[in-house]
Amino acid sequence: MVKLLPGGRPRVRTGVPQPPPPPPSGRPTDDAARRLPVATSRWRPSAAGAAARLAVLTVILGSVLAAPLLLPAPLVLIAAKAVVFMLAALSMNVLMGYAGQVSLGHGAFVAVGAFASGYVLTIMQLPWAAAAVAAMSLGGLAAAVLGAVALRVRGLYLALVTLAYDLFVTFTVLNVRALTGGGAGQPAPRPAFATDDLAYVYLGLVIVALVWVFDWRLTASKAGRAIQALRDDERVAASWGIHVTRYKLLAFVISGTVAGLAGAYFAGIEQIVATADFGFTLSLTIVLMTVVGGLGSRPGVVQGAIVFAALPTLLETAHEQLAWWPRWLGSLWEPFVGALLLVLVLVFYPGGIAQQQAPLLRWLGWQRLHAPEHVALGGGGGGPGARP
Amino acid sequence: MARRPRWILRWLRGLLRGRAGAVAATAAALLVVAVLVRSGVNLVSTVSIGVQFGSVYALIALGVALVYTSTGVLNFAQGEFGTVPAFLAYVIMVGGVGDLGDIGAVPDPSRLWWASLMAVAAGALLGVLVNVAVVQRLGALSPVTALVATAGVALMLIQLEIIVFESQARNFPRYIGGEAFTVAGSAVEWHTLLVLAALAVTATLLAVLFRTRTGTALLATSQEPFAAQLHGVSVSAMSTLAWGTAGALGAVGGLLAGGVFEQVFPAMVTRDYLIPAFTGAVLGGITSMVGAVVGGLLLGLLVSSANSLNLALGLNIPGPPQVIVLAALLVVLLVRPHGLLGRAV
Repeated sequence: MVKLLPGGRPRVRTGVPQPPPPPPSGRPTDDAARRLPVATSRWRPSAAGAAARLAVLTVILGSVLAAPLLLPAPLVLIAAKAVVFMLAALSMNVLMGYAGQVSLGHGAFVAVGAFASGYVLTIMQLPWAAAAVAAMSLGGLAAAVLGAVALRVRGLYLALVTLAYDLFVTFTVLNVRALTGGGAGQPAPRPAFATDDLAYVYLGLVIVALVWVFDWRLTASKAGRAIQALRDDERVAASWGIHVTRYKLLAFVISGTVAGLAGAYFAGIEQIVATADFGFTLSLTIVLMTVVGGLGSRPGVVQGAIVFAALPTLLETAHEQLAWWPRWLGSLWEPFVGALLLVLVLVFYPGGIAQQQAPLLRWLGWQRLHAPEHVALGGGGGGPGARP
Repeated sequence: MARRPRWILRWLRGLLRGRAGAVAATAAALLVVAVLVRSGVNLVSTVSIGVQFGSVYALIALGVALVYTSTGVLNFAQGEFGTVPAFLAYVIMVGGVGDLGDIGAVPDPSRLWWASLMAVAAGALLGVLVNVAVVQRLGALSPVTALVATAGVALMLIQLEIIVFESQARNFPRYIGGEAFTVAGSAVEWHTLLVLAALAVTATLLAVLFRTRTGTALLATSQEPFAAQLHGVSVSAMSTLAWGTAGALGAVGGLLAGGVFEQVFPAMVTRDYLIPAFTGAVLGGITSMVGAVVGGLLLGLLVSSANSLNLALGLNIPGPPQVIVLAALLVVLLVRPHGLLGRAV
């Protein structure tokens, strides 16, 4: 099925014969509805509309770029943490949002990336770029191995395998002293051109932008559509000639690679990685931020990551500065609030933040503010039950 | 299902006819025992500890399998159905919420039985509450959404425990301390026997439950809720029953798990027992109650064998339980995804 994402319009290729999208359940199945994707793809905003969209996009981009400058100096590293979370959430989104595979062991991929980076930087004394590449390859490799098993199992079993893998990595692999430096941790210096906190944050933003563009081009490509097709129904996807195992493995590898990159960036924040930084709560937090952000939506999951990165500091600040704030509600409550957010989102807004912002995201994505009524074009939240 | 556990007979018959699965399983078991004996491991204590762990795994796995068979939800909060009641029992035993900051407080063992009763009731209540407040309200109930939601519930409960009790282990008594008897010079603890007995009693009660009208209705609901409703079964009552029973089972598991190391700490059951219990349930066949018991016990034996072997051979592998759990899970899923005793789906 050609699923639309907020960033992309449907592409109709003339050369490749495409099966007609099956009618959305409960919708009229007449010819008009079937032709609709073509009709929407011809719609263009007026000049004023285009200018307005461009202006809003510029403002958003500008405020993101200015945000690290506006933060007080001790809090700049929160932006760096947000970068790690954004990368992890984008990585999880490929797996959970696009391919529909749940992973409860994503923290392990981040850990593998972080320690690979530390090892290459400290033991092998190679430059930062080499460490990042090593982290990405090892993350991708770990995901490929796990994915190869995951091809045999589905849904709940996959969740179990990834969870057991997460525990195996955090309890066993990370405690191998030769690889990780044991409890003391492994030093992981920042690259020479970004030793300053602020510079490091901007390096992170550049990395996020690169991953974003990669993800955007992925969803617009044949491979991206194939991955999303197997989320909706593996058997239907197979009947359209999509190689289910191959594309599922591809989704795993892409996800693991990005998670490894997140780990490499994480290693540079404190310039040391220790085993205690990782645990299965990290893996669950990555799931939480992706679901709260909105499965399948880039802007959604990135905002979810920012929320979860800022939550401890927000609670702490509110606790210290606001007179009316309950005295007991300190930063210790952060994981509780995060988990509560997840449960509330799942119960009330399964599409997460992206579902809330659907019209806005659609508008920014060069489309109409409101999708034509009789067609179910996804505006963000492609998660289960995102649309009524 | 708990109907005629003839699996031992089936296994023996398979062995006689030379069926690959039964032969391989027997060979693997003999190999493990041989390796254990050769490397000078104390077999009695390994088995005793294995049974202690395995019975707790099996109790948790029973709750997991019960909820999974009847409502199709893999309940990640099952571990916290154990830890929260164990903490409640602790609070009752130290005499109220007055001085919870006292980390070294010694619970009063004379109140243990009464506290346990309250804890099991609280566990059942917690199970029903989670079902009504969260699981039933999930808009689109895909199994994965439900798993993530229950994981969220587990995280919330864990954090509440950390807020109230800090990340510190608290003392927790055993029901019966000391050693029951010695075999070949190695002591077998009373706690091992008690945990095993608790498992046997619970499993029997469950087996009886599934033979009553209510149990049949529960099974019918799990197979086809709509048809069950047409026959006058209240689907919501059945899901309340399943979750309540699972909560009570979790509480029993949590109380006994507290006795294993004579302490409770936040996320105790989730961290140390839940994943092996899940794996045990998968190993035995997640749709089978007998499978949950067999799988849990088997995994307990595997974990304690791995621990003793690691010590005896001086391998110094960190976290042998985690290695063996992942390995067992992978082998089962690759070789026999529906588990030892489960139905093929």
